[in-house]
This record gives sequence, structure tokens and C-alpha cells, in this order.
Amino acid sequence: MTDPADHLLYAADVRKTYRDGDVHAVNGVTLGVRDGESVAITGPSGCGKSTLLNLLGALDRPDAGEVYFRGEPLSGRRDLDRFRARQVGFVFQSFFLLPTLTARENVQVPMFEGPRLSARERARKADGLLELVGMGGRSGHRPSQLSVGERQRVALARALANDPVLLLADEPTGNLDSANAAKVLDLLTQLRKERNLALLVVTHSPDVAERADRVVRMRDGRVVDDGTRPA
Amino acid sequence: MHFATFILKNLTRRRVRTALTVVGLGVAVGSMIALLGVSHNVERSVESAFDIRRVDLVVMQKGKPLMTDSHITEYLVEQVRKMPEVERVSEGVVSSANAVRSDGKTGDPFLVQGWKPDNFGFEDMTVTAGRRLRPGDRHKVMLGRILAGNLGMVVGDTVAFVGVGDPYEVVGVFDSPVVFEAGGAVVPFAEWQALAYGSEKLVTGFSVRVRKASPDSAAEVAAAKAKIEALRDPERSRLELTALSPDKYVDSVSQLQLIRAVSWLVTAIALAVGVISLLNTMTMSVLERTQEIGILRAVGWPRGRVVRMIMGETLVLAAAAAAAGAVLALAAMRTLTLMPAVNGFIEPDLAPGVVARGFALTVLVGLLGGAYPAYRAARLLPTEAIRHD
Repeated sequence: MTDPADHLLYAADVRKTYRDGDVHAVNGVTLGVRDGESVAITGPSGCGKSTLLNLLGALDRPDAGEVYFRGEPLSGRRDLDRFRARQVGFVFQSFFLLPTLTARENVQVPMFEGPRLSARERARKADGLLELVGMGGRSGHRPSQLSVGERQRVALARALANDPVLLLADEPTGNLDSANAAKVLDLLTQLRKERNLALLVVTHSPDVAERADRVVRMRDGRVVDDGTRPA
Repeated sequence: MHFATFILKNLTRRRVRTALTVVGLGVAVGSMIALLGVSHNVERSVESAFDIRRVDLVVMQKGKPLMTDSHITEYLVEQVRKMPEVERVSEGVVSSANAVRSDGKTGDPFLVQGWKPDNFGFEDMTVTAGRRLRPGDRHKVMLGRILAGNLGMVVGDTVAFVGVGDPYEVVGVFDSPVVFEAGGAVVPFAEWQALAYGSEKLVTGFSVRVRKASPDSAAEVAAAKAKIEALRDPERSRLELTALSPDKYVDSVSQLQLIRAVSWLVTAIALAVGVISLLNTMTMSVLERTQEIGILRAVGWPRGRVVRMIMGETLVLAAAAAAAGAVLALAAMRTLTLMPAVNGFIEPDLAPGVVARGFALTVLVGLLGGAYPAYRAARLLPTEAIRHD
């Protein structure tokens, strides 16, 4: 059996059932992600990809099984908020930027729960991250003043706010046109390599899956293929 | 960005709703502060006058909560005056009266006090025009500053009291630390006693300065009080006295009790309105921001920070409403004191203590109004946001 301690993140036979309708969204999935590795999870809609991502990112708890981070079970941690704040960066399909805040302020939102920084240091760090994603010149703009591609780049900068080791992305290019999707993917690839981030990305897109080190295919809440490269 | 900036930005997102909440709550808080202010000012005015006049005991007829219903025989006053424990006594005849204004119309009611020339009240009275009453004056009146303004009268004019025969000549205008003295009139004791009681030698009440020989003045005052309350007039054996310290007296005056009761009633209503208003605003806000709050939780905000965010927003609203309410209350009190019907009874100022009490109560409103929305926000799961996607 694979040792969870060999992985940055490891899901061991995790299951999640939603009470309404008794749906087995995730049904006995075992999956590991190593430091710096990129994994794409693909499969048809409703196969449990996003639910699995939520379980791996400690946004939700499995009904059975265990998720390990660096060999430690997450179920034993009482500070899952802190775990998410400091170890994980999230990128969502709909960006979820706060509309009243500028790009610079949006990037600072997770920093309230990160390592202690002054307001000035937070702003400086946010500017640096926005520069990194090519949004340095748009830091004072609100989401409504940005294109969808720019919003996703700001969301990416926000995901990096507390220097996580793991990036979880749920359909990060799902709302983007092909040009913007390519830019975001380039950026994800570049950042992952520069920062040695582990990346777990849920996607329908063959372009996204193609860039991953490993592709995991799911159907009906189960992993049906783990480790194949896209054809 | 500071956390406080984040809170303020959330409030400025819905400017109209925030403004309406602040105004609505501000009106409720303003009425609360104004009434607390009126109540406080009246009590403070009476208490400070007794304090300035070094009054230790206020003596009235027992069982007569309305000051003007108290009738005490002069025999009892003289018995008190003769007590070795008593340094000085000032009696008065107090009643409500109306007068004809300079424009010929009947004015609003005010207090008229019949005082002897040695009354304590003359000591802290400031004569701003004319002179004080003198022994032997007949049909002379001193008008308080506010009353003189209301009636439009100056020294040398004559005042026609409604229901009183001959008019009274205004010999002086005075200011007093007691607002309803400044809004009233002082006339010679004997004349007003005759008008109020006919041939009966009665007074409304009297103030007592106790002779203090030892540092334990409280014991001396208590002893004098007991002795005064034990006095009986052989001709009116059922007439009993009650001697109260000034603060107890203020507590016992039924008009002041009524003002206080109304103040607290309005305060309770204002608090309820405030809590409901904030509850509604913040619950709406939380419902609208379900997805955002879920995202905040997703990026690692613990429940505690979400609670602090919602409570912070609520408290900012409450503080803004308290500030608006204090301004409204001051404006309302200033406006009220322009009205002759009440300007002889209330002062336009707001004591810092009253404003502080208003702020404290509004913060309480904020805490109560924000608690449920904060609880609700804190219970939101990060996956709520994802599901909304």
C-alpha cells in the first residue's frame, strides 16, 4: 500500500454521500499528490470531481476515509481554517472576487489569516503578486472594471497570497475564451514551476489536462483511471 | 488594507440601505437621548439648586406626590425653625398660573412661587434687570428670564395673572440655575399665600439647612429628619410631614417620575426598533453575501473572523446612528426650547453623560441586532459558495 507520508496530499478511500437523495458523490477514492506535481481530474459532469476537490482542500469533510496532508490526517486537525489559509490556494471557475474591493484589496483578503503582516506589508505583497500575474497596472481596479481573464489572474494572485504549497483549481478556464484560457494556463504552469507548487485541477478541458503530469479520470464517484497521460 | 477598511467597504456597498438604517436608527436613538436628556436636565437642575442652596432636607406633606398638592401649616414650619438641629428654613407657596402676554393673549402655564425675602432661592438668583423683592412689596413680581421672554415683558410692565384681581408690577428679571424658576415668577409670600389658601396659614413646603456640629453630618441630618417627621400640629393631627434628602426628593416628585418613566419607555421602544432595524439590515446583508462569506471561509477565514466582520459592520452602523441621534436630539431640544409651552421646564443642553449613555445603549442595540446575523454568517459552509457557482 502507498504510504500517505510519501505524498503532500493523500486521499485514502474517501467517501461523501449527500443526504438529499442519497447520492454517493465520492465513492471510495484513493488518490495521492506529491510536492510540485500537477494532477488533472477529469470526467463527466456530476461524477464527483468538485466534491473530491472540496474534500482534498478541507472545504468539506468526508463521511468515510481519510485525507492526509504530509502524512497527517486532516480529521485530527481542529484548525482546518488555518490549514486552508496557509497551505492551500483556491482558484474557482467564477473567480469569486469581492466586488467592493480593488484587485489589490482582493488579493489581501486571505492574508488576514496568513503570517502576521502589517497593512503596508500586505499591500506591498499584493502588489508583488499582481505584478507576477501581469496585473500590476490594474491593481486599483475593481472586478467590474476588469475583463474575465484579468479577474481570473487576480483570483490566481489571491490564491498565492499566503504562499501555499498546494493549489486547487476548479475549472479555472471554464469561464474564459480560448485566448484568455491559454494565458491563465501559461501562468499556472509558470507559477507552479517557479514555486514548486502541487496543482490539482478539476477540468473538462483537454488543453488543461494536457499540461498536467498526471490525469485522473472519474466516473460515478470513483476513479476509473489514475495516472494516464492524455492521448 | 486594514480589517476595519474591509468592514467599511462592506457598508458603503449599499449606500442607500446603510444611510436609511443609520437615519432610522438615529431617529430612534435621538428620541431616546432627547428624553433621557430632558429627564436628566430637570433632575440635575433641581438637585444642583438644592446643592447650591445647601439644602439638606426638603419637607412636604406626607402622601402628596404632587408638589403643589402639599399643604403644611405655618405652625409646623415654626416648630422646625425652633429646632436646635436646624440652621435655617425657607418656606414657599408654589402654584401654577397663567398670565396675559403683552400681545393680549393668555400664555402657557408656569410656576409662581411666593417667597419671603430671606428665602434661600434669592442667594443664587442673578438679577439681570431691575431689583429683588423687598420686605413690604405688594403686587410686585420678579419674572424669570425665560418667562419674561415668553410674555414679552420688561421691568416696569404689569402682569395680569389669570384669575387674580389686580395686576402685578414687574420689578425685576432674574436668572436662576433652576430652569423652571427661570421659566417662572417669584412674588411676595404673604400675597401668594392669601391667594392660594385664603385666611389659612399654609405653605406648600419648605427647605431645611441642618446645623452641622460634627463631621458626621449624615447622622445629624438623619436625626433632624426623624424629629421633623415626628412633628404634629395639634389643630391638624392627621397632617404628617415627610423630610427627604434632595436626591430622594427628586426621585419622589411624581412629575419627574413621569418624565423618567416616559424616558425609559421611549428608550425601550427605541431599543426594540433599533434591534429590529439592525437585525433586518444585517440579515439581509448576510443573505445577499452568502457566496462571499463562503469564499471568505474557503480562503481560510475562521468563524470568529466572520463574526467579527458582521459585528463590526453592525457596530459601525450603531455608532453612526448614535452620532446622528445625538445631533438630532440636540437639535430637537434646541427646537423645543424655542416653544414657550415647554421652554420654562427644559434646558437645551445635552450632558456628556447622557450622550455616553445613549452611545452605550446603541452599542447594546448593535450587539443584539448583530448577534443573529453574525451567528448565521458564521454557520455558512465554504462549500455553499462552491455550490452557488
